[in-house]
Amino acid sequence: MVKLRLDNVTKRFGRTVAVSGMSVEVEHGELFTFLGPSGCGKSTTLRLIAGFELPDEGKIFFDDEDVTLKKPYERGTAMVFQNYALWPHMTVYDNIAYGLKLRKLPKNEIKRKVKEALEMVKLPGYEDRYPTQLSGGEQQRVALARALVVEPKILLLDEPLSNLDAKLRLEMREEIRRLQRELGVTTIYVTHDQEEAMSISDRIAVMNKGRLMQVGTPHEIYYKPRNIFVASFIGRSTVLQGRVLRIEEDVAEVLVGNLRLRGIVMGDEAMRPGGEAMIVIRPEFFEKEAPREPYNTIKGRVALSMFMGVFNQVRIEDGGVGLTAYLEPEDTPPLGSELTLYIPINKVYVYAASQALLPYKTGM
Amino acid sequence: MARHEGLGRLTRLRYELDAFTLIEIIFPVFMLTLFLLLPVLSTFEAATKYRLSNLLGESYWNPWNPTGQGVRLIKGAGYTRIVVEGWNYGVILNSVINAAVVTLAASILGIIVAFVLARYEFPAKTLLRVMAIVPLLVTPFVNAYVIKKIFGPTFGTNTLSWFLHDILHLPIYIEVRNLAGVTLTQIITFYPIIYLNMFSALLNIDPNLEEQAENLGARGFKLFRTVTLPLALPGLAAGAALVFIFSLEDVGAPIIFGFRDILSYRIFAYFIGLSAGSKSPEVGALALVMLLIALTVFVGIRQYVSLRQYAMISKGGRWKPRITKPGWKGLLAIYLVVFPIVLFTMLPQLGVITLSLSERWGTSPLPQGFTLSNFAGIIHRSGVFRGIENSFTYSTLAVSIIILVSISVSYVVSRLRIPGMTALDTLATMPIAIPGLVVAYGYFFFFRGIARGTILDPLRDPAIPIILAYSMRRLPFAARSIFAGFSQVHEALDEAAMNLGATRRKVLSSILLPMLLLNIASGTLLSFVYCMGETSVSVTLGGLGGDVGTPNHRGPITMVIYDLISNPRANSIQLAAALGVILMSLQITAIVLITLVFKQSYAFIGV
Ligand SMILES: Nc1ncnc2c1ncn2[C@@H]1O[C@H](COP(=O)(O)OP(=O)(O)O)[C@@H](O)[C@H]1O
Ligand SMILES: [Mg+2]
Repeated sequence: MVKLRLDNVTKRFGRTVAVSGMSVEVEHGELFTFLGPSGCGKSTTLRLIAGFELPDEGKIFFDDEDVTLKKPYERGTAMVFQNYALWPHMTVYDNIAYGLKLRKLPKNEIKRKVKEALEMVKLPGYEDRYPTQLSGGEQQRVALARALVVEPKILLLDEPLSNLDAKLRLEMREEIRRLQRELGVTTIYVTHDQEEAMSISDRIAVMNKGRLMQVGTPHEIYYKPRNIFVASFIGRSTVLQGRVLRIEEDVAEVLVGNLRLRGIVMGDEAMRPGGEAMIVIRPEFFEKEAPREPYNTIKGRVALSMFMGVFNQVRIEDGGVGLTAYLEPEDTPPLGSELTLYIPINKVYVYAASQALLPYKTGM
Repeated sequence: MARHEGLGRLTRLRYELDAFTLIEIIFPVFMLTLFLLLPVLSTFEAATKYRLSNLLGESYWNPWNPTGQGVRLIKGAGYTRIVVEGWNYGVILNSVINAAVVTLAASILGIIVAFVLARYEFPAKTLLRVMAIVPLLVTPFVNAYVIKKIFGPTFGTNTLSWFLHDILHLPIYIEVRNLAGVTLTQIITFYPIIYLNMFSALLNIDPNLEEQAENLGARGFKLFRTVTLPLALPGLAAGAALVFIFSLEDVGAPIIFGFRDILSYRIFAYFIGLSAGSKSPEVGALALVMLLIALTVFVGIRQYVSLRQYAMISKGGRWKPRITKPGWKGLLAIYLVVFPIVLFTMLPQLGVITLSLSERWGTSPLPQGFTLSNFAGIIHRSGVFRGIENSFTYSTLAVSIIILVSISVSYVVSRLRIPGMTALDTLATMPIAIPGLVVAYGYFFFFRGIARGTILDPLRDPAIPIILAYSMRRLPFAARSIFAGFSQVHEALDEAAMNLGATRRKVLSSILLPMLLLNIASGTLLSFVYCMGETSVSVTLGGLGGDVGTPNHRGPITMVIYDLISNPRANSIQLAAALGVILMSLQITAIVLITLVFKQSYAFIGV
């Protein structure tokens, strides 16, 4: 169990900059997640930590030891690959025992540890099977056991759940979290699934195009997105573009279409009246009753209404602007009807448009 | 943003290299350089010992007044004798023209058979498929001998004339001789290479492409010419280039037909003359010319095929192939044209088998008498069994080298991120483009020069040079099959092991090799039978190790076959045929094991 530090790490593939000047610190025993869209450099970051790739610039430290030039087999990390990478010509036992044999442990100790590991991942008695005889979920557990059994300094998980079906995914997610807590192993988790990242992580690093967009607890990432990318990547927000009318302290009034919205100024970029701004509104922040804190009122027609089970998703149009909002599941206003919704000012995020960086996706 | 101190190239290189990877790189580079590149390149030096302008002398270069009479019709009393012998344009042009004609004719034959088998469904198709495999079986010299007995000049009437005249009562005798005989033999022998390449190319064409063209109105031959053929062109070009080289370096047909005005024969004759102490300074120049012709062909069609495509024909089948039922005209064509063609090309193998079971084939049109004694003769005849033993030893050792080099090259190219390593792959595939006779001559010249009197000196003892030459010549086939295996193993499997503490050497021995066991086994078998049937090096260097009629000679099996045929003694021809049958059995065993037991999809290409 070690502390991990990346110091200004850059990795290029030809002209692609897969990881760009990344600096980050991961604490002892922390479960730290790299979250970002596909191709943003998450796997590359993980592979740099494991030593499968050499950075073009920067350094990597395990505790205070510079491991940048250490070979993968000298680093003591253990990775769970997206496709599990179980060796098909070995039994489950041999797969899990592999790392222990390399460490020259006595035979009966290997046996004991493999047994324990299989119990830990809830596959007791699976020793003699071959990987092809296992289901996807079982393979996943074996891969996890194989990595954990060597008591790695750092556990690396590259989208470990992406090949599982939805139900199994939830189950394994909890399992991984439980094991990680129990063993207290420093863990780097990679996923493109924001919900997965939110639920499992101590801290999250949101990445885009090889860069860190924000590092923080799930709570911080959700409630204090530092830039438009993070704000729009997390959740299913509506992203609007408008012009700043006036600014008072940290509240800006923005004209979007014919709609005036007030929100709090986010991000690092200075904002001035007359400038372009981007607004991010999360659908779950709308309220039916006027809240106590200062708020915006949206009065419009229902253009779309979709029952989603735990909530009812509506699209409301006001002043030529469409906004997505979640209502209580039993609240199903008919199409075309008038609807009034409220949203607190401090839950409307306003960013200077120069910071927009190309939002990953805009709200529907 | 300011650039930070980046990692240098050297650091990067050091990261990939350790003692093990260094050996994995140095070993194949050393082998390929010392035992392939340098000997072959030494032909350049050898050529300087000869005044190259002499190559323009009439016997070598005679483009304007060819001798020979092409095709002659001789009227006799109530019959016509057709004598086909071709023309003689001098040694160099003969080689080129012959190889070109062989390639063209083999391509036409190969395309037809491949197309019929790949695209049509008809009764007895399986039979045709099996029949089409037969011509692939290699029986050096004996196949040419059988063809000469059937079509060529003989003391009596050849089998074809007997068939036409005595059976069909046509007033015709036909005799194919000289260069025409060589050409005919090579067409029959080498067309399966085109057939196989074309067949796998056709299976690998996305059927949607053809269907789309059909929707746009292309049909029949137009569809074939405008869509199918261009898509299959890389496969076809690869096959055609191979056939060209094989034809260029083939010594069997010229020896059997006694046609000496061709490069291969001249180079071969140099080695025969060596024991008689003859001096032929031109041979170095001829070897160089042969090398340059071969390289020209490969460079010329480079745009269609990459070198590595030659050595591997996967039997393909990513797609569900487009198979149609031919109409009655098509069926007629298949049964009346394609079946007879394939049957015709099986004649040498059928002839060899028959001959091996016969008492004699003298002046009669067909072999006569039945006996199994020829196989017993293999054991009793002086020097014959020794040849088999030698071949087994040479091939086994050569295969060991082949497998080691193949594994190293495949590992280095597929796993190490060091620039320039793909050149190693190219180098390992290059022997395909180098005629065996050039390798043989290169070995002789180079190792006589730098290692005279050592174990590498072929005149002192050809065993080691033969083994090394075999290993280089047959390397590409195993290397391709093993390389394909390495590329199919996901690199995450290596990484998972390294990640858990395995060094690269350990990854190779505990993950990759066990996983690739079947690829390696197939590569081993394939290169073994290719070595057993090797001709060019065998009959040149192989003849330097004592008279193969004596018990302790160094010649391999093909050298013995050559000797039995060209220095006839009692039953020696039948004995040669029996040896041919043994080679065929080995090849069939290998094919069966590879396809049925190892379930590998690499097609056997006779070579
Ligand atoms: N070995 C490689 N060679 C070339 N480009 C690569 C390689 N690995 C990754 N890339 C590129 O680097 C970028 C980041 O890839 P990756 O780290 O795999 O993203 P992610 O895991 O976030 O989906 C992508 O543009 C990808 O195409
Ligand atoms: Mg990835």
